[in-house]
Amino acid sequence: MSVPPASPPSRTTAIATARGLVKTYGKGSTAVHALAGVDVDFARGQFTAIMGPSGSGKSTLMHCMAGLDTPTEGTVVVDDLTVSSMNQRQLTKLRRTQLGFIFQSFNLVPTLTALENITLPLDIARRPVDKAHLAAVVKAVGLSDRLSHRPSELSGGQQQRVACARALVSKPSVVFADEPTGNLDSVSSREVLTFLRSSVDELDQSVVMVTHDPVAASYAHRVLFLADGLIVAELAEPTPDTVLEVLGSLTRQKAAV
Amino acid sequence: MLKVALRNVRAHLVRLGLSILAVVLGVSFVAGTFALREMLSTTFDNIVDAGYVGDVYLRGAEDSSAMVQTGASAGAVRNTIPAELAEVVSEVDGVELALADFTGPITLVGADGTAVAGGGAPSFAVAYSELDPTATVSQGAAPTDSSEFALEVRSAEAAGLTIGDTTTLVVGGELHEATLTGLVDMGASMAGATIVFLDQATAAATYAPDGLVSTISVYGEDQVDDQALTDRVHAAVEAAGAGSTVEAVSGTDMREEARTDIETMLGFVETFLLIFAGISLFVGAFIISNTFAMTVRQRQREFALLRAVGASPLQVFSSILVQAAVVGALGGALGIAGGLGLVTAIKSMFGAMGMELAGDIPITTSMVVISLVLGIVVSIVSAAVPARRAALVPPVEAMREDSPAPAGSLRLRGIIGLVALGAGTGAVVAAVVQAASDDSASTGSLLGLGAVGVVVGALVLAPVLARPVLTVLAAPFTAWAKPLGKLAQGNVTRNPRRTASTASALMIGMCLVGAASVLAASTQASMRSVVENESLADLVIQSASGMVPAGAVSDISALPEVGVADAVALDSFYVSEPSSTDDPEMLYALGSTPSTFGRTWQTTTVDGDLASMSDGEIAVQERTATAQGWEVGDILTVSSQKGTVTAPVGAIFSSAALDTPLVMDDVSFDSLSAAAADQVTILLVKAADGVDLDELKSAVTAAAAPYVIVSVQDNDEFVSDLASQVDQMLTILYALLGLSIVIAILGIVNTLALSVIERTREIGLMRAVGLGRAQLATTIAIESVLTAVFGTVLGLAVGVALAAGLPTVFGNAGLTDLVIPWGSLVTMLVIAVVVGVLAAAWPAIRAARLPVLEAVTVD
Repeated sequence: MSVPPASPPSRTTAIATARGLVKTYGKGSTAVHALAGVDVDFARGQFTAIMGPSGSGKSTLMHCMAGLDTPTEGTVVVDDLTVSSMNQRQLTKLRRTQLGFIFQSFNLVPTLTALENITLPLDIARRPVDKAHLAAVVKAVGLSDRLSHRPSELSGGQQQRVACARALVSKPSVVFADEPTGNLDSVSSREVLTFLRSSVDELDQSVVMVTHDPVAASYAHRVLFLADGLIVAELAEPTPDTVLEVLGSLTRQKAAV
Repeated sequence: MLKVALRNVRAHLVRLGLSILAVVLGVSFVAGTFALREMLSTTFDNIVDAGYVGDVYLRGAEDSSAMVQTGASAGAVRNTIPAELAEVVSEVDGVELALADFTGPITLVGADGTAVAGGGAPSFAVAYSELDPTATVSQGAAPTDSSEFALEVRSAEAAGLTIGDTTTLVVGGELHEATLTGLVDMGASMAGATIVFLDQATAAATYAPDGLVSTISVYGEDQVDDQALTDRVHAAVEAAGAGSTVEAVSGTDMREEARTDIETMLGFVETFLLIFAGISLFVGAFIISNTFAMTVRQRQREFALLRAVGASPLQVFSSILVQAAVVGALGGALGIAGGLGLVTAIKSMFGAMGMELAGDIPITTSMVVISLVLGIVVSIVSAAVPARRAALVPPVEAMREDSPAPAGSLRLRGIIGLVALGAGTGAVVAAVVQAASDDSASTGSLLGLGAVGVVVGALVLAPVLARPVLTVLAAPFTAWAKPLGKLAQGNVTRNPRRTASTASALMIGMCLVGAASVLAASTQASMRSVVENESLADLVIQSASGMVPAGAVSDISALPEVGVADAVALDSFYVSEPSSTDDPEMLYALGSTPSTFGRTWQTTTVDGDLASMSDGEIAVQERTATAQGWEVGDILTVSSQKGTVTAPVGAIFSSAALDTPLVMDDVSFDSLSAAAADQVTILLVKAADGVDLDELKSAVTAAAAPYVIVSVQDNDEFVSDLASQVDQMLTILYALLGLSIVIAILGIVNTLALSVIERTREIGLMRAVGLGRAQLATTIAIESVLTAVFGTVLGLAVGVALAAGLPTVFGNAGLTDLVIPWGSLVTMLVIAVVVGVLAAAWPAIRAARLPVLEAVTVD
């Protein structure tokens, strides 16, 4: 079981890497290149945001990194495991043990309580629950008094926080978050994003998040910008203003073409 | 709106496929029943037409006051008439020929050395006359004396005999060697009946030793009017002084009567089959209702859009009903085809068993119309509730994403269910209590009504019970298959209505199976205790034809190994009290030597003494005595055509095994019964001193062997023989209930498949967080098993509980012991688990194959 190193985060080793990543939908003249040869490294112990306009390939990149989608060409390596050459069984095991997921909506199994949802990946993998870690995660997301509630009894923000806790409880190598705040109001968004950032800063977690919200992206250590299937820009230590600036310049470039 | 509705049917044909299949199964059964009935009618009509070609028939006058009280024979009781009347009648102007019908039972030994029996059809002998237009020799020659016989063509085929073969006949209780001289064509398929032709003299001596026959067939000259001839024949009979006891009927009336009798009988068969068709349609309705409930929910936003652009609730409602009608019509049409296929299969199966059915497989307009209407009505009624719900959802609410399932309160349902269940239980308890306190009370119908109430109550309550019962049933899974058991439990309890209506198919089937198996086990146990209590004999000898041949009785009685052989004969007589003005009643009576009681048989004497039978006194069954108000010492007049006996009631007995109202001594019985020696139904044998049972049995078996149809059994075999008859009946019931299990599987497949579609997002999510394909499939299998076991447990509980009331209510009908066959019930549970796993296979594979990414990002 690979556990993220407890040593100070090394910004040089990548937790997830893609080389020459191509994803093509369709064939011949109708082919659409969602990814047109992406090389990227996601640093260990960092919070990385991926931004880009609709159709830029940001979700496809994340799905390929997470083994939910298979690339047409190129390799994906997550924590020294070559994801792009895995079969379904290996991918299932990978998702179960190495990855955490947070989706935009419908993150929870409605028939299970909040606590059961949080421990679901461990239960599925038949791994024992690390009580201390669970308590820490639950405390961090501030859900201690809501654990026996069903998803339908929780607010949208609370549901996303349960999803965050679920993604972190199995101590994955990487957490992939696909527009985790897309359906939330600004207060709830801030709670979720603050929690994701603190999981990186305090628990040495690595997080990759797709978003189209400059404010959300500003919580990350680094922002990658995609357009037409390629990484076109990168921003370290972003603020909402700098993110907007880059986005604006990208739009102008595109308009100029 | 119609266009929208029809496009939807086409788009979701696969999804609606199982609903259509459910309609197909139910309608197939209905259509098949009608077609089978039509075909049986044709077959028997042909037999009637071929068998009654006479212009006038003479028969005994109907005795309107005397009805058969017990027994299977339908219709009025008639006296026999003198055969000599045939000569009188043949003198009548316009009569070409009058033949007395010498006919009776016979046993024919086939080429394989066993008795010929065409799938349970009767076997009888007829006197051959070259003048008889119903039968012509098509091959060989007619029999001329007792050493020869002829066979109906198909009977010969079934027996495997050809002209010139010599075989054994059991005629009038005696073994008889005879040679097959000819084959006779009767012009129609005889539906498997074995028909043996004997020469006139032999047949007359055997079947009319006293010169009495049941009918005389009269054939008129050409162009003679039926009715005029009948009148003239009647006049001739009156002139001969027999007008009051003999009646003349025209051939047309005779054929009409025969047909009416057959139609009545076929009506019972039809009703029985239609009940099962009804059950399967009822169960199918749940599938349709479930399908529509789920598809309607999935299309909620589509309906909201339609409403938003101006469609009225009524339009939404009727667009769904149009789809239901299409499902019903498709299912109905395919069901008609299925029914005809079913009947074709039955026809060839009957043919293989030697019972040929005449006529093509009929397609009548009424059958087509009824089947289609039935399919459509069942579909529309089942879809109406979900359709109404869809139509009434406000557009704004339906537009909202992830709007929670409208979880209506189950309280009203709970109250209605409890009321029905309570009323039903009350009726059942009342029936049982009343029966327990008053033996003669007839509470069967109260019990039946109560049972219906309990079943309906249980059906209504099922969704209320679903959550707690399923939680208990799921306990082993949640404990051993973590977290899959918990997930499965969550899925089946999330919508209790749906789970309950899915399980209801099995519930109904298992309720009937549970009740039937308790009833069968109790009947068998009751028989066993009755026989063990009452039979003192070492061996019980019976005959497949019902009557032990007289020759066998004398042969066995004469064996040195046999100590005592008591022959018990059965006949029916008119019984009345001379002091009463009531009309005499036709009652069954047993005749035996008085010493039978206490020697080879014992029964409980309620009053008087069975020994009084040796003085010619009559023993009366307690039930009959109570019903008639007879007491020991009352004088009874017992009469038949042969004579009259007037004797006091000497004893009142209670026997569950001897199911006859009267028991008489052999002397009185012989003076009444026309052919007492031929009426032996059972021979009770005890070994001579110093002869052990094995020795006795082998000697008796050897003596009985030539008679082919005679069976020799010790008490254990006798009991298991009776028990196996019960099992046979149960087998038919199980076969029919197999249908409800098939529909139950369809229902579970349907619900699971649709709920997999409904839960695509959730399945995608669970797969994304690491749920393996096998784990997902297991979860669905557990859901399926839980649903099946829920239906089974509920059904068996209701069925067994209801059946437990039966022994008290029907105690006086011989059902004395209550036995709950735990083994069979466990088997049913195992079947439920298998059904669950089978039903899960396809939906589970479909779910496991869902691509994770598409599932998790689906709208």
